[in-house]
Amino acid sequence: METFKATVINNESKYYIEIKDIDSLIATIPISEDEPNKVKLAFNSLILRLKEGDFVIEMTDVGNDLYSQVSNEYINQLNREIGEVFSEMEHYNLLN
Amino acid sequence: MKIDLHVHTKKCKQGDADSREISAIKFNDIVQATQVKIIAITNHNVFDIEQYNEIIETVAGNIQVWPGIELDVMEDGKRGHLLVIASPNYVDEFSEKVHSITHGTTPDSFEISLDETIEVFDELGPLYIAHYKQKKPDISEVALEKLINNTKYPNRVIKEVSNSISAGIYISHGHPSIYGSDVQDWGKYEEESVDLPDLRLPVESFEQFCLLLEKDSTTINTALDKKTSDNLVLYPFYASSKVNIKTYNDINIFFGSKGTGKSCLLKSIEKHFSDRGIPASIFASGDVKLEEVYDIKGTNLTVNLNAHDIEYCLDEIEFIKNAEEVGVTSIDNYISYYKKEVSNKSSKNILLKDFEHEDEVKLERAFVDYDESHKQVESFLDFLTSSKPVSEVMKEEEQKDIFSKLSNLQERLIKNRLNKFIGWKETRLLNSAVEIFKYEISRKTGTPSKPATTGFKKYALNRIEMEVKVKKVLDSIKKQINEQVEEVGNIGVDKGVLVCKTILKIQDGSITDGALVTYDRMNKNPKKEFSNSIERIINRIYSDELFEEITKLNSIEGIEDIKTISELLLFRKYFALDDIEYSPSSGEASMLMLQKELQEDKDIYILDEPEKSLGNDYINDVIVPLVKEKARLGKKIFISTHDANIAVRTLPYCSIYRSHGAEGYNTYYGNPFSNNLVNICDEDDKLEWKTISMKTLEGGEQAFGERGKIYGNI
Repeated sequence: METFKATVINNESKYYIEIKDIDSLIATIPISEDEPNKVKLAFNSLILRLKEGDFVIEMTDVGNDLYSQVSNEYINQLNREIGEVFSEMEHYNLLN
Repeated sequence: MKIDLHVHTKKCKQGDADSREISAIKFNDIVQATQVKIIAITNHNVFDIEQYNEIIETVAGNIQVWPGIELDVMEDGKRGHLLVIASPNYVDEFSEKVHSITHGTTPDSFEISLDETIEVFDELGPLYIAHYKQKKPDISEVALEKLINNTKYPNRVIKEVSNSISAGIYISHGHPSIYGSDVQDWGKYEEESVDLPDLRLPVESFEQFCLLLEKDSTTINTALDKKTSDNLVLYPFYASSKVNIKTYNDINIFFGSKGTGKSCLLKSIEKHFSDRGIPASIFASGDVKLEEVYDIKGTNLTVNLNAHDIEYCLDEIEFIKNAEEVGVTSIDNYISYYKKEVSNKSSKNILLKDFEHEDEVKLERAFVDYDESHKQVESFLDFLTSSKPVSEVMKEEEQKDIFSKLSNLQERLIKNRLNKFIGWKETRLLNSAVEIFKYEISRKTGTPSKPATTGFKKYALNRIEMEVKVKKVLDSIKKQINEQVEEVGNIGVDKGVLVCKTILKIQDGSITDGALVTYDRMNKNPKKEFSNSIERIINRIYSDELFEEITKLNSIEGIEDIKTISELLLFRKYFALDDIEYSPSSGEASMLMLQKELQEDKDIYILDEPEKSLGNDYINDVIVPLVKEKARLGKKIFISTHDANIAVRTLPYCSIYRSHGAEGYNTYYGNPFSNNLVNICDEDDKLEWKTISMKTLEGGEQAFGERGKIYGNI
């Protein structure tokens, strides 16, 4: 199982979780503003990446600020759900 | 059953071909491969009794072999050939007589006068078959007349001609005629035997054949009685118009001028059998159209997609049409939760609220797997218990052993199924409890609860389900259905076999062929748009454009009528010859309808003027052989006809002639073998079958003339 790194990025007072496979960006999840369409885009990217194989996301540089706590919790939950979705994809033979 | 009264088994004269020589074993092999059941050995001026006996032993009763000779007869200074054929019962006497006249001569030098021939052979009651006219060297008319006048058996004098057509012509002019193979090369015999004369009546011996030649009524009736017959009591015209007729499991012909009630007779026959629960229906040419029978318009076309390994996809299409986007958890919920600290002391003690959701899906699936396995084993146990064949072949000990093992397996499955069920429900209970506690704490403290899920799973599963269903629909759309080809029938030697083709295609978005029409008679365009839309959807399953595509799908005009893959079916039905579309003419359609009727396996065929719109060649080459084939199979065939080709060429066992004159309507009964037609109400009122047939039937004279393939009236 692969491990992708996730980092909280602050860009012009907007916070994002960036998920990368080494240097290649897999998904960006906005965490300071409610932007469901961008979250869905990120989810689509994660599903397509799951077709290649199971993975976990590891938060790096976790601080004590609000967005670090939110990101940490979000990624924890996301990891659990990614595992469950992978099982479903395997069951329906949808893996590449 | 064919007859060949002129074969050679030896090269006797110098001019004879070597290929006339044949061994008994080869003779048996070749003749058994043909339909020839009666054969006369007639070598040139020779009768080899040893070879004859060897052949008799080899054919072992499967073929009647009659002894004979082909004599060089000199009469008035002219040489001609005369076959003399005797009964197998007198083979020794025949052999001695041949020896007595040929002793001291060679086949090349031997010759005999007509007087001496009659003197030597007449006491055996032989058949005399004289080469006639074009069959060289021929016996002159004068010599033939002398033979007929001087023999005690003038009815046994037959003229041998060179082919079937000549034989028919001579027979129609009152000359008993026949033709034989006069075999030159046994290597070609099987092929050449096809043209030899047929015998309609079963001939079991030389003596019976001679009696049939003499039109002996007892012999004819005995031969006819070999066939199964029915005495039908019919009321064809009105209640008191009783008609008794004996019909055969063979060909029964009704003829007479138009308006003499032949169709009424057929209807009464149909009713007679139908009243007794025996399926019988009249086939009348032109009543039904070929296009309707083959449903060229596809009005009654039914297609079972499952039979072509194609799914209907009812649920899948409904799911796609009704698909909705699933929302994701708002990030604000996380921020709100982490911004506010929970102050209530009690709520801090309730740790359950911080539990993560467990995966229920996996646990549910595990339970379902066990449940299905349990059901399968249970159903197998039921089968073993109830199956008679299983209980018959399985020993008691085996039964006990299998039941014990399967019962044990079943117990373990039940136990595990229960455990899986408990595990699944425990998790569901826990997840529900976590949600309720979070909700209640949030409600009482005014603090937002921590979201239990990002929404990724729900979102992803919705898309995954969409992918599974769209893929299934696309798989069905892309399936190919093999072309169906149904043989319609032969429309002549030069044209060949007409077929009815059914092409079925599923509109996959690329079909533009205008000849293909929709199976459900609806507009074609929505079907094409539907398939193209499904193709676009599969490429956008994990894209933010997915639901835009679904909206476009639902906006297709008439989309509500597309509920299954069946609605995407296009078809084309057409007649074809050699893969090219062909529209049969009305005459050809009539031919094919009649062929179809005769190709159906029935016990009773009732045909009302089947010759309508048909050419003579077709009747002779296709219909008459089919009718005769049915007769050979012992089917009952009733034909009302004006056509001599059918009435004469088939030599029907029963002929019913209807006439109308000053004295009213009359019904005559008879057959061509006795050459009689007798009024069923007045036995003294007799007509000659041949004369009436030639007079009444269209093409009668010609049919008689060309009938030679069936020997005379036998």
